[in-house]
Amino acid sequence: MELLSAITDFAAREPKIFAVILGLIGAAVLASVINVAAMAVVWLERKVMGDLQARYGPNRVGGRWGILQLGADAIKLFTKEDIIPRGADKSVYVWAPIVASATTMLVAGAIPFGAVIIDGREIPLVVANMDISALYVEAALSLMAIGAFMAGYSSNNKYSMLGAFRGVARMIAYEVPMGVCVISVAVMAHSLNLVEIVNAQQSIWFAVAQPLGFVIFAICLITDLGRMPFDQTEAEEEIIAGYNTEYSGIRFGLLYFQEYNMMLLGSILLVLLFLGGWNGPVIPVISFISPMIWFFMKLLIVLVALIWIRVSLVRFRIDQVTDLGWKVLLPLSLVNFVWAVAVGLYFA
Amino acid sequence: MKTANDVLSALQSAFPGAIEEAKVAPERQLWATVKPERIVEVCKYLRDNHSFDHYSGAVGVDRIGEGLFEVTEMLASHGAHQVVALLKVKTRRDDPHVKSLTGLYWNANWYEREIWEMLGIDFEGHPELYPLLLPDELVGSWPWRKDFKGYPDYTTAERAIEKITPEGYTEYSIPPTEAEIAAGTVPTERPKYPTFREREEMAIEESSEMILHLGPQHAIVPGPFLLDILVDGERIKKAFLDIGYIHKGIEKIMENRTYVQGIPITDRLCYMAALTNNEAYCGAVERLLGIEAPERAQYIRIITEELSRIQSHLLGTAEFLTLIGSAVLSPFLYMIIDREDVLTCIESVTGARINHSFVRFGGVRNDLPDGFKDMTLDALKMVREKTEEYKELFLSDSMYRKRMEGIGVLSQSEARRLGVSGPPLRASDTPYDMRRDDPYLLYKDLDFEVITRKEGDSRARVEVRLDEIIESCYLVEQCLDQIPSGPIMAENVPKKIKPEPGEAYYRVEDARGEMGFFVASDGSDKPVKVKARGPVYAYFQALPPLLEGVYIADVVAIAGSMDSCTSEVDR
Repeated sequence: MELLSAITDFAAREPKIFAVILGLIGAAVLASVINVAAMAVVWLERKVMGDLQARYGPNRVGGRWGILQLGADAIKLFTKEDIIPRGADKSVYVWAPIVASATTMLVAGAIPFGAVIIDGREIPLVVANMDISALYVEAALSLMAIGAFMAGYSSNNKYSMLGAFRGVARMIAYEVPMGVCVISVAVMAHSLNLVEIVNAQQSIWFAVAQPLGFVIFAICLITDLGRMPFDQTEAEEEIIAGYNTEYSGIRFGLLYFQEYNMMLLGSILLVLLFLGGWNGPVIPVISFISPMIWFFMKLLIVLVALIWIRVSLVRFRIDQVTDLGWKVLLPLSLVNFVWAVAVGLYFA
Repeated sequence: MKTANDVLSALQSAFPGAIEEAKVAPERQLWATVKPERIVEVCKYLRDNHSFDHYSGAVGVDRIGEGLFEVTEMLASHGAHQVVALLKVKTRRDDPHVKSLTGLYWNANWYEREIWEMLGIDFEGHPELYPLLLPDELVGSWPWRKDFKGYPDYTTAERAIEKITPEGYTEYSIPPTEAEIAAGTVPTERPKYPTFREREEMAIEESSEMILHLGPQHAIVPGPFLLDILVDGERIKKAFLDIGYIHKGIEKIMENRTYVQGIPITDRLCYMAALTNNEAYCGAVERLLGIEAPERAQYIRIITEELSRIQSHLLGTAEFLTLIGSAVLSPFLYMIIDREDVLTCIESVTGARINHSFVRFGGVRNDLPDGFKDMTLDALKMVREKTEEYKELFLSDSMYRKRMEGIGVLSQSEARRLGVSGPPLRASDTPYDMRRDDPYLLYKDLDFEVITRKEGDSRARVEVRLDEIIESCYLVEQCLDQIPSGPIMAENVPKKIKPEPGEAYYRVEDARGEMGFFVASDGSDKPVKVKARGPVYAYFQALPPLLEGVYIADVVAIAGSMDSCTSEVDR
């Protein structure tokens, strides 16, 4: 009790410093939670992929479900030698994984991770509840290509360079239709705030209201995440490991985890924008976390769908990817925008 | 249909005096010794007037006793007739030179280069007489000559001199010691030619172009070989292929073993086609010995070889799908499961899953075990169902079709010119199959169809393979119905294998195409020369022209659809 009163005293005396300290603690907690959650995603992917491919997946470390496998992998990555190639642009090479991870945290700061009901009031779990959070998240997602390009450019490796080029070409082609889809959602929700976009879906999900937008956004999202069938930046059968070919040890670990962080955050974004977020009938008895239950169920379905797509499709060629982005998805996303405006006006 | 005797009489009347010795033995094989200065004319005549449009390969034999080298050019036809012409050219050992056939047959290039670097026979008129299999420091040693004294010990790590080039590459060189120079194992003179890297750098024209190495260690290579592509952005301008990273000298090893000891070595040519390699070698020696396997043994050979074809095609397709990035191994894992059952069937007969050494001169090692028929029929039923399912899956997958259709197109004439065989040739609308066009074993008694496709693209090549799996299932079922009882070894097989002096050439249809063995005997218990003419060697030669102008991602779609096996190329 004394500690609590001391803290409130301090907060009253030095509100600015207190806010900074609170922000740092919040960022640390957020980063840890996101990374642990990403580890869970990696584990889920390896298990689900194993099941879909008629094999076991991890089943040694941590019991028959291989739960500790990721911990073992992380320890391995931390203890490996950190190699910087002779011809590399050293400072860029060193900073690239950090920039990539920081990008994830930028996205994570503005995304609501569900909501809880306290005293009949719905409280969204979000660090920075900005008015333009949807636009901000979209913009921060596209920064992902910067980290990858830094990594590819600085490695002084031909495969890395090709991977980096492909990443940028792909990002430019897909950021535009993706942005148009976000705007279409905002038009229907009359807001760019992610919490309000979720609240606007209480009666009908936007995936139902604008199915075309949902499909386009999902495709663009997979592209942005660089997952099969859009993983040309690291197509191992063509360019070894693409932009992270030269990385090893914890730097590689950071780049690798960044992808899974993004996969998690991207899936959350899809749930928030199109699948109604945490909306769902209130479950009695545990009503205060019922939004969380709905939210996580939707999230799990999206994640498994992403993994399922990964194990069943053939990789596109890079020219086919950019063709699809510019010639198909962009016009269709504009069609969807017109539809969203028309329907939005009619129901408004 | 033209017979070998027709061709021989036509040759003798067209070139009086140019044909020195000639014989037709066995039927469909025309052996002739041609005067060295007339060989190009004779081959041109055969190609233009008698449709010998398939260059099957060339063999160089060192006849040290007579002071001669013999080069045998092997010509055949893409289905116009079944005659194989084996034209021998003799040249003196102290000044060996032969006229090159590269002007007539594009694919003579690699065969002649190999003979040049191994035996030191100079091919007049060859456009690029560079080493193919040997590393640069060994060229000039002429290792396949019978009086070859051995290489200097280039493997000693302590003697290696490390040098870092201005571009940042690390280069090693190991100079020979004085003792080695005195012993005569280091050649005094070395041929002059631009090295592989120099040839690559000569091709770079603009600063936006770069050489991208795919290999010798790379995800697309089935074994170590170097595929360098000159790219401008994502487009390939030119491809360079370098082989020889795992050259084992199998042909030289077999010259130093008895005939029987050669059988297990043929297994190691290609682990996916051990049985057909056994068959090709044993068939050639059987021709030298003048024996034939009894009927039951021939049926057992057909059954095991067709099962081997099924497993090879399954794995080949599976590997290929992995290469085009298909779904992170999923199809690979499913096809491997199907392949297991087929391998179990083969194992029950041969006792091994990969390296069988099963075929013997004049028969086979084991008879079929009890219950083999039921087990195999079950496995074949499963394989057939699964293959139909895969075919349907590929047809319905539009992304797969987008990656595969119209990629790496080999037109009919181009495929014939480049000298490919097997599924890639048949996918280009050429029904050329040794089982029908140079019948061996009892294939002429069996009913089967030669699968072809018209498109000639990557997708067609894969579909030919899948259809051939079904056709092979049908063949095995027929054999299981028809197989008579009886002995599995011929009775007149000599205890000591010492064939009469002479040569034999025997071709079989491998899972990958035309596999031929040329065996030359001098009457001793060891062959003078064994030559394995593999199908993948021919694909590899045809790969660089196919890759020009495609995207980087298409390299895997093209190279993978060829179903290659490096260990057979680097024999």
